[in-house]
Amino acid sequence: MFRAFPTLLRIGLAEAVAYRAELVIWVLTATAPLISMFIWDRVAEEGPLGGWGQGEMARYFLLALIVRHITSAWVVWELNENIRTGSLSPMLLRPMHPLVFFVAQNLSAMPLRAVILAPLIVGILWWRPELLWTPEPWTIALGLVSAVFAWAIAFAAQVIFGSLAFFSQQSLGLFNVYFGLWSLGSGYLFPLELAPEWLRQVLLWLPFRATLATPVELLAGLVAWEDALGLVAAQVVWAVVFVGLAAMTWNLGVKRHEAVGA
Amino acid sequence: MIQVTALNKVYTVPKRGEGLWGSLRSIFSREVEEVRAVADLSFSIQAGERVGFLGPNGAGKTTTLKMLAGLLVPSSGERVVAGFDPSKRDPAFLRRITLVMGQKQQLLWDLPPIETFALNRALFGLDEAQAKRTQDELIQLLELEPLLNRPVRNLSLGERMKCELAAALLHRPDVLFLDEPTIGLDVRAQVAVRRFIAEWNERSGATVLLTSHYMADIAALCPRVIVIAGGALRYDGPLKDLAERYGGGRKVVVRTRDEAPETLGPFVREDGALVARLPSAEVAAAVDFALRQVAVADLSIEEPPLEDVLSKLFAERS
Repeated sequence: MFRAFPTLLRIGLAEAVAYRAELVIWVLTATAPLISMFIWDRVAEEGPLGGWGQGEMARYFLLALIVRHITSAWVVWELNENIRTGSLSPMLLRPMHPLVFFVAQNLSAMPLRAVILAPLIVGILWWRPELLWTPEPWTIALGLVSAVFAWAIAFAAQVIFGSLAFFSQQSLGLFNVYFGLWSLGSGYLFPLELAPEWLRQVLLWLPFRATLATPVELLAGLVAWEDALGLVAAQVVWAVVFVGLAAMTWNLGVKRHEAVGA
Repeated sequence: MIQVTALNKVYTVPKRGEGLWGSLRSIFSREVEEVRAVADLSFSIQAGERVGFLGPNGAGKTTTLKMLAGLLVPSSGERVVAGFDPSKRDPAFLRRITLVMGQKQQLLWDLPPIETFALNRALFGLDEAQAKRTQDELIQLLELEPLLNRPVRNLSLGERMKCELAAALLHRPDVLFLDEPTIGLDVRAQVAVRRFIAEWNERSGATVLLTSHYMADIAALCPRVIVIAGGALRYDGPLKDLAERYGGGRKVVVRTRDEAPETLGPFVREDGALVARLPSAEVAAAVDFALRQVAVADLSIEEPPLEDVLSKLFAERS
């Protein structure tokens, strides 16, 4: 499997290049943090919000934009399409798990995403040079580890909803409901610091924060060391839960596929 | 190489009434019916054989192939392919088989076929040098050279099928399940694919189980056929015996220099010629008889069209 991975990544990148126009559109549609950045930037002009000044707020959304892109996945659409059209069958007859193939496919588009996103980031930093900060090495290290877990949770969540296509034609609809809740609860549209206390408490027990706000706040240096480890520990727990659920849904789905065919 | 014993597959299919009322009722009371796609099917295929798997639409051919490849689990019965239980989809098993389905393709749509070949070499963990040799052999046999660097989406259906076959054979499987490999292809492409399958079987010694609605495929490729209808076995044996048993024998046509008599031994006059329909064993004697009795201007011996043989077989037993 590991021997095949470089080839999978190379071919995934070639596919991403073939779909570059689509990818540019995808990247541009996921720039909501940029819009939030402008809005909250103006709001923060009036004075600090939730203990965050204008700089912190803008830095948060800049990092939210970056983290959103390095942790994004689209396996839910791939699975839905492959299951519905029967294209999954040839994949099941390869001596490699189809999900490993999808992992490589999702990861391999990262460099191209970075190339598309880079001019945007450079432009923002040129406009607001004060957003460049000197992070502590531990926040960067832990932030990157946290981003890996965020990606794992996001990918597993998409596998869960994608695998529902084995059972229902509404899997994408259900995923859209999840995505709506995720937008509100992950820190994508507003920093969780600004949410009312009761909502923050609720969100602490939900998985959404672990997929975006945690790595963003860590990388931005907005979390104290003693809180940081707890947040990453929560991510590990969510990653285990989501990967477990994804494996279960996938296995049940494949069993059904074997029983009823495609 | 393939051993199938009392194989059964029953699908549960939801029943839905007609119109709005039927749709609404199906929400609250979910009626289902059982459809038996494969019924007590047994056969065995030796290594290196080329076997045609025939039957009308919905006979259970694809279901059987999917069960043999490990994509579907049977309701009951046993099957062993290359020494494996296909249900486990053991990687060692998957390296020994391939399933090509005419309509479901594994080629990467927006990349040239050469990239799918590279992907399959990696996915199957093939030895690079050996796999490259196989790839070159397939490229030469299927005349793929001009297609290798064009995106799959720009290839014709026939070109895509040839690339599909190459991708499916890179790992040199011992067992080939081919489900309608020539469907939708023009005559030239059909001939090319057919010729390739025969040549590959001879070169590699792979076992081939092939379904096709084109009888020319079967006639050209399969000395043995298995016929199923309604999921059950109807015939398993040599193709030539099938024609003999269900085709009403071979047709001997003798055109005479002078006017033909009304009858002559086994012959009767049809459209001015003497015609007899006979089992193979009696053909030589009949021809000899005709040559001695009348001045022969022309003589032909025709096999009954396979399509006619099969429709007779399906109609007779269903």
